[in-house]
Amino acid sequence: MKNKENPLSPHIQIYSWHISSLVSIVHRITGVINIITLTLICLWISTILLGTENYEIIRNFLISFFGKFLIIGITWSFSFQILSEIRHLFWDFGYGFDLKISKLTGALVILGSFILTLIIYFLGTGLFE
Amino acid sequence: MVQISLPKNSKVVKGKLYKDKTGSKQLKKVNVYRWDPSVGGNPRIDTYEVDMKNCQSKVLDVLNKIKNEIDPSLAYRRSCAHGVCGSCAMNMNGKNGLACTKPHEEIKGDLNIYPLPHLKVVKDLIGDLTTLYKQYESVEPWLKTSKKDDNKENLQSKKEREKLDGLYECIMCACCSTSCPSYWWNGDKYLGPAVLLQAYRWIEDSRDEDKKERLKKVADELKLYRCHTIMNCTNSCPKGLNPAKAIASIKKMLATT
Repeated sequence: MKNKENPLSPHIQIYSWHISSLVSIVHRITGVINIITLTLICLWISTILLGTENYEIIRNFLISFFGKFLIIGITWSFSFQILSEIRHLFWDFGYGFDLKISKLTGALVILGSFILTLIIYFLGTGLFE
Repeated sequence: MVQISLPKNSKVVKGKLYKDKTGSKQLKKVNVYRWDPSVGGNPRIDTYEVDMKNCQSKVLDVLNKIKNEIDPSLAYRRSCAHGVCGSCAMNMNGKNGLACTKPHEEIKGDLNIYPLPHLKVVKDLIGDLTTLYKQYESVEPWLKTSKKDDNKENLQSKKEREKLDGLYECIMCACCSTSCPSYWWNGDKYLGPAVLLQAYRWIEDSRDEDKKERLKKVADELKLYRCHTIMNCTNSCPKGLNPAKAIASIKKMLATT
């Protein structure tokens, strides 16, 4: 169309969400969070080279209330990414495209991410030992 | 590129309210996206109070009633009214579909009607699908064969024919493509679910001799792999087809052959 004045019809502003689109966008967001987290962890480990004090400062921050909150959040982010990636793997094999099944697996990813976070948390506190 | 907000000239403003004149007790508020090229300005949402007691069952019937009885200036595409032509594809309460097959009873509360998402608006509910049709043409949706004998049938076994089920039924209404966020952001390069489903329909046809070339043509980072399995396409298809699966099948074919 030549006329540049023609408006663009509304898209993301009006389109309704469903489980699969929600999981898809969260998959992307957690992916970005994870890559940043991994970089920061590497940097943290590198600070050991500069002496124990630097390492201690960050460690003290991480065992504070806010630090723990951050770690649990990141654990959830990794849990979500892993489960969602498994869902993608099945798709790559050609399975799970049925609308009902994709809704179910999407819901399982959301639910599973919280369960997996809890399991990892309790593993960390040594509850299963 | 990802652009979440609408351009300045596309921001939707509040429009007119058409009050009910029939005195009906069974009213439904219908909010419709309006834009007239002869007037210009920003698009607006007009609200119509429609007497539902004397209205047939589908969303298209509601629109017809508005056009016939309340406001004849309303523009929208429609033809067969039986879910075969694909003309009346639009966005109803946040989901794409055909107005002629969507029962308005399924929508509780106000009825919100918009044109198909992320298209240049021609007028009111009519979006410009030129790009999509060009992309459709680019996959060469016709049979390519070296057989020249016009007097003989080009045979296909039952099994080969079955492979086209779920593909040939597509009516090219564009509900799927315009529901896809990837197509919104990369619609100039990414082919989108509707066109890829059609591409797959010809790749899968046992009579076609151009399969390799067809596969090679779509094997492109932008044309094909912009699909991230968001599933909006399958979720919106008014014919119950599965474009997401068709796209995955093309990807799988490319990975295994």
